[in-house]
Amino acid sequence: MPPSIHPVDLVTALRHKHLTPAIVFLTSRRACDEAMETFDHADLVLPPVRQAAIGAALERVIAQYPSIAEHPLIPIVQRIGVAAHHAGHLPSWKIAIEELMRQGHLDAVFATTTLAAGVDFPARTVVITQSSIRKSRDFTDLTIGEVQQIAGRAGRRGKDYVGFAVITPSPYIDLNVLTKGLTGQPEAIDSQFTISYPMVLNLLKAHPHEHIQGILAKSFAQFQLNQRAELLERKLDLVQTQLEPFGPRVCTDWITQWQTFDHVRKRRPARHQTHRSDSPEIAARLSFLTPGRVVGLSKGRGIVLRQYRSKGQKNSMLTMLRPDGAVTECPVTSVREVYDRTYDCAEIPTYPWCSAETFDRLSEQLEELPPRLPILPILASPPAEPLPDAVVQSLGDFPCPTCSSRPACQKDFPTASRLRQEQHRHTKSIQALRTSLWHRFQERVEVLQTFGYLTPTTQLTADGEWARLIRIDHSLLITELIRADAFTGADPSLLTGVMASLAHDDDRPGAFPRISPGLSSLLRQVRKLAESLSPHEDPPLLRADVAALAERWVAEPTLTWIGLCRLTTMAEGDIYRLLARTIEFLSQLQTLKATHPGLADAAAEALALIRRGVLEELP
Amino acid sequence: MTTDELEQRLAQQPVALLHRLARGRIHRHFRAGKRRLIELLLQHSSHNRAGLESDLQALLEARHARSEPGEHRLHSPPPDTRKKAPQQPPLPATIESAVSLASWLEGIGVPAPQPFVPDPWQTEALSAVSETDVVISVPTGSGKTYVAVEAARRAMEDNRTVIYTSPLKALSNTKYTEFSRLFGSDKVGILTGDRQENGQAPLLIMTTEILRNLLYDAASGEIDIRLDTLGLVILDESQYLADPERGVVWEETIIFCPSQAKLLLLSASIGNPQDIADWLTSIRPTACRLVRHSKRTVPLRAGYLHPNGKLTPLFRSLGIPYGHPAQLHPEAKRLFLEYEEETLPSGRSRR
Ligand SMILES: Nc1ncnc2c1ncn2[C@@H]1O[C@H](COP(=O)(O)OP(=O)(O)OP(=O)(O)O)[C@@H](O)[C@H]1O
Ligand SMILES: [Mg+2]
Repeated sequence: MPPSIHPVDLVTALRHKHLTPAIVFLTSRRACDEAMETFDHADLVLPPVRQAAIGAALERVIAQYPSIAEHPLIPIVQRIGVAAHHAGHLPSWKIAIEELMRQGHLDAVFATTTLAAGVDFPARTVVITQSSIRKSRDFTDLTIGEVQQIAGRAGRRGKDYVGFAVITPSPYIDLNVLTKGLTGQPEAIDSQFTISYPMVLNLLKAHPHEHIQGILAKSFAQFQLNQRAELLERKLDLVQTQLEPFGPRVCTDWITQWQTFDHVRKRRPARHQTHRSDSPEIAARLSFLTPGRVVGLSKGRGIVLRQYRSKGQKNSMLTMLRPDGAVTECPVTSVREVYDRTYDCAEIPTYPWCSAETFDRLSEQLEELPPRLPILPILASPPAEPLPDAVVQSLGDFPCPTCSSRPACQKDFPTASRLRQEQHRHTKSIQALRTSLWHRFQERVEVLQTFGYLTPTTQLTADGEWARLIRIDHSLLITELIRADAFTGADPSLLTGVMASLAHDDDRPGAFPRISPGLSSLLRQVRKLAESLSPHEDPPLLRADVAALAERWVAEPTLTWIGLCRLTTMAEGDIYRLLARTIEFLSQLQTLKATHPGLADAAAEALALIRRGVLEELP
Repeated sequence: MTTDELEQRLAQQPVALLHRLARGRIHRHFRAGKRRLIELLLQHSSHNRAGLESDLQALLEARHARSEPGEHRLHSPPPDTRKKAPQQPPLPATIESAVSLASWLEGIGVPAPQPFVPDPWQTEALSAVSETDVVISVPTGSGKTYVAVEAARRAMEDNRTVIYTSPLKALSNTKYTEFSRLFGSDKVGILTGDRQENGQAPLLIMTTEILRNLLYDAASGEIDIRLDTLGLVILDESQYLADPERGVVWEETIIFCPSQAKLLLLSASIGNPQDIADWLTSIRPTACRLVRHSKRTVPLRAGYLHPNGKLTPLFRSLGIPYGHPAQLHPEAKRLFLEYEEETLPSGRSRR
């Protein structure tokens, strides 16, 4: 038994049951291409009438997009009525296949899951062969929304009474993911709002500083933060009612009195020192790193099982449940993110610090967490003042032993203190949720002030005025390069090369064409600057191979598309996307005409040179 | 138990049990198929064989004890410990009956051409969008484009300009062709970073990033587009709001969309469309109208195709049993288990 069905058998079966036209979703481009090869000698040939119809339809598309005239897949498309469609192909090829599919000429298209999003490409049947999808470097399970986008391609309105989603297994498929996806409710949308440097500059260009908080408050991010804050406010209300019986007694704020007493009583000199070594940020986090809290570590995630201090350690320590069910110890400083997600955790005083059921449940929950989690904004407060000596000394004659309310206070203190701490935690969280966007904005403002794009009174400086027109990824790096005169006198091909290496964020390896010494030294400069900016902006991949490729395309106007493709092992669809992204980056430089005429001219020239052949077919 | 015995023993178990066994032992075990799972379990247990064997034994006993009270327990979904699981519709009465392949395949064909009659939700959305912002969340392939086209037509008849954005250049191009055919090529333009085709046309197509940039330029006073006559902004594929890298652009666009223009958000089914509508209501001059439904216009059936070419329905019911992922067709279940058995690593596979 082969691990998955042979493409020829698949198409035969689909035809036999009248389940064509179908889209077959495969794991990789390679799988799609290999599927095509299996049709080379297949005797699934279409009747001549249909072949002729496909030929005629193809001719019409080729008239519009000459670049696909010689496409190696054309014979198979025409003879058998099957095609491949994935990101490795040129857009014009994909448009052609979509058009043939819409006109009903094809029986099957082998595609990768990227197709599922947003392309108008329906069929009677979709065939699903996988339950996970490659995202950046890792495979992750398809979400319910994704499964439904895929299945949504099945059944064309007006052309089908019914649509079919057919699952055919391949190794490592998880049927549960797919059945859940088909029968479940799609996931809720979570805001992915981030505050970028160009956003800050453009906001401050158009609005006075004091209006910005109101503008940020209009984001969906703030809407969702408010929803969470309201939830906490309800909890806070509850805590406050629970605190009512513990109101004023002989002293008005007896809880604080007792807490102070408790605090001093427990404090040992050695601990006192280690405690002070926690920075305010860390100290602020400590109250959130309680058992059951989900956190992000430098590698993966974990759930906190216990917080403790250990003698030899400078920092507070955590016992952490990790994804493989492992229990590890790590210092609080290794926590990268604190997520807004906690689970119930039945604590016990011995290893592994929670009950067996909790452990089992937490391990499961840890593995089922969605790929993105809301981050808990935490405000750091300045380090707590050490208690004045006078207070510490006076505690020696703590008044309580003679107080009439002492027995009641002693009895209530554990509950009251817990409630009070909860109250504080909620209050802090609510405050953080309400103001976190504003704080993030302020952080960006400070960076822009340091670099001189904003004045101390948050006006745009002369550099800020033009820098706000660069509204792409790595904007800080690009504007800093411009200010460092890195591009002065650079010819269009050099500029294209650098922009390509900035624009390309894919780590799919390619071959290495010859790179010019000029570009190579310029890239070194870019890399150095990118590294120095890394505390403020994530550095780009800066791949030299794609830079060299783009440089060649502009430097050699006689180079044909085929010639360019031969220089590298990259798929032509990837080369196209590289150059298309480079065009976007260059067109932003072109907008700097007023302040940087030389650079803008070079960019315009580069754009004119890039736009030829295939790259001119589409707007 | 020898390794071979243990492997055989594991191979006889359902995957669910293997996953329970793998929990806490194997990183991301839920990603692995049966064959890989067994491989990993064996690998892992090379340090602690006894532990694995005793856990296996315990699980088998527990399962045995559980299956005694009554067969039907096997069919009900496992008790869900998460609190906010959606309310599940009641199970169909006849649990044991399962649809036959013949009836599953029945009714395939092409419907006779019908005069176009807009769906009620389409009419509702259209009448709403002349008054206020509208969020549409309906399944893929329902006919959102019709609403976009008609709304654009009406706005243009009113001498207002319309902007249509999509997340992908490829999609923009398709729509450019489609809309040019519908409205005439002089009425439709397309904008990219460095090019404009027919940039003065009343209906402009662009990616959402380009619109965001236009809105920033307009806000700082460098208007190069007639924003004061803008009557309608259509954001297609709005579920991109959740995209980790690009979602922010949709938020910026919506926040800065001029208040006299109506917003029309087209989205595939999402979990919280009401939140999106409430958000719009909270920041825009008029109350946003939500148009949603989750029923597909063309009904869907799911099937299972074995690598040997055998086809069977995937679920017991003809349609999709929403809320009941475990209601597998017995034949599909059997074949899939067989598949997992046969793709085991020990070289027992027939090829
Ligand atoms: N009321 C209707 N009656 C019959 N057919 C319709 C109706 N409305 C739309 N259609 C047809 O339904 C098909 C799908 O429509 P459309 O492409 O607009 O779907 P969509 O909702 O945009 O889907 P997607 O999520 O894929 O973008 C089109 O062929 C369209 O002509
Ligand atoms: Mg659509």
